[in-house]
Amino acid sequence: MNVSLKRIQAIFIKDYKEFSRNYAVSIMILFPIAFALLYRSEAGDQAAIYAFIMNFSLAMLTSFVQACLIAEEKERNTLRSLMMTPASMLDVLIGKSALVFLISAAVLAFTTYLFGYETSNVMLLAAALGISILLYTAIGTICGLYSKTLLEASLSVFPVLIIFTAGPFALAFEEQYPFLEVLRYLPSSQLSELLVAMEVGAAAGELARPLVIISVWAVVLTIISFILYKKRLMDQ
Amino acid sequence: MNAISVQNIQKAFGGNMALKDVSFEIPKGEIFGFLGPSGSGKTTLLKILTAQLEATDGHAAVMEMPSRMMQKTAQKRRFGILTDNSGLYERLSIEENLDVFRRLYDLPKSSIDQVLHFVNLNADRKKRVSVLSKGMRQRVTLACAIIHEPELLFLDEPTSALDPVNTAHIHKGLRYLNERGTTIFLTTHDMTEAESLCERVAILHKGEIRAIGAPDELKKVHRDGTLTVELTSGEKERLSMNEDSATAIAGWMSRGQIDRMYTNELSLGDIFIKLTGSELV
Repeated sequence: MNVSLKRIQAIFIKDYKEFSRNYAVSIMILFPIAFALLYRSEAGDQAAIYAFIMNFSLAMLTSFVQACLIAEEKERNTLRSLMMTPASMLDVLIGKSALVFLISAAVLAFTTYLFGYETSNVMLLAAALGISILLYTAIGTICGLYSKTLLEASLSVFPVLIIFTAGPFALAFEEQYPFLEVLRYLPSSQLSELLVAMEVGAAAGELARPLVIISVWAVVLTIISFILYKKRLMDQ
Repeated sequence: MNAISVQNIQKAFGGNMALKDVSFEIPKGEIFGFLGPSGSGKTTLLKILTAQLEATDGHAAVMEMPSRMMQKTAQKRRFGILTDNSGLYERLSIEENLDVFRRLYDLPKSSIDQVLHFVNLNADRKKRVSVLSKGMRQRVTLACAIIHEPELLFLDEPTSALDPVNTAHIHKGLRYLNERGTTIFLTTHDMTEAESLCERVAILHKGEIRAIGAPDELKKVHRDGTLTVELTSGEKERLSMNEDSATAIAGWMSRGQIDRMYTNELSLGDIFIKLTGSELV
């Protein structure tokens, strides 16, 4: 597969300029920060509250912004123009995901600092959030590629936001409704489990399981986004 | 050597045949026009040639490679494309839009100045695309398509939104590109554009090629075999090309009564209507 750093950089710079001038989308970086400030003095299970803020931010910032960036390119036919240049599928997908990845990473790090969340295993937390950003970026790419317009894309992210953010909370009703157990395998539930396990100092095996499940989600969704992109390259 | 070779291409959308057994060849360095009304199959063919659409049957080669290879990076460097739905980045300036393409094609910064001069937009380079007129947008889109001086240029209605002055400027530029070796595949329903730019044209109607050749050749083939003589008295005589007419003309000529005389050739538009029974819109 043909990958060029120069072409990835070209797409990254272009996306940065567009993002910084599109206030309707760039305002999304304020949501995680606002949540951190809102919940920082909240008493209770810090790991659970922090997990909620992270899950909400990943859907609302990472997936939403990525879906909007892709859908806008589709709506204005610039994605097809981009596909006609020497940029390969990987150039376009990496270039378009790089900005959202870096913005998400910076905002989530700042949010973590503002919230005051502390952990004994920073590397594991960084790995879990890094993989989660990848997977939510892939979700955003899929939503953007499926949507015909920017409006459609912004609406298509809401089911993701609701299911992924509310999923871990719905597990409280698991005993009454056993079918809810399936929600345990959501990446958001796994991130919550991982944070709780880190807080109680769980064994390496217990920490690895959620990380592996989140990674599987990331790989599968990334592959789906690649396949969908290839399909969008051709008219039917 | 052919830039494009199309053999028996067919394309069906469900039960509808958009292209029926289309065959033609375009030698390198030619400006070739595809004429036809909206829905005749012009854009479908262009999409097949640029690997955006798969043909149902037949074979198409572009620059001696199967057209499906046109999505390969090395091939994509060799052609440029402007279609009616080529997009621009609205929040970026003209210069920033071109800079995206310059970087993607790995070109020097000077390529932006050159192409801006080509499309006559140097003075407006800092303007955001969102504030541009339709004609200016079209010129920016064209600039994006030719910034890398492609070997082959696909143009789908390139001057449809332009005024005569800008159209003339673009035509001059396209001839210049062609002189430098760029083969141009142009789809249009503008007969004047086809006549002034194209060495050969094909008339496409309902997915079928009805005629192909140089505009002058087509006019010769489809002329009605009469000539008109305008006399100094103001009378106009329409004559068949036969011995009787020759005698009549000789008589008028000897008496100095002929003001002007011409063969009655059909325009490309007339030829299109004659062949297809429909207007070019």
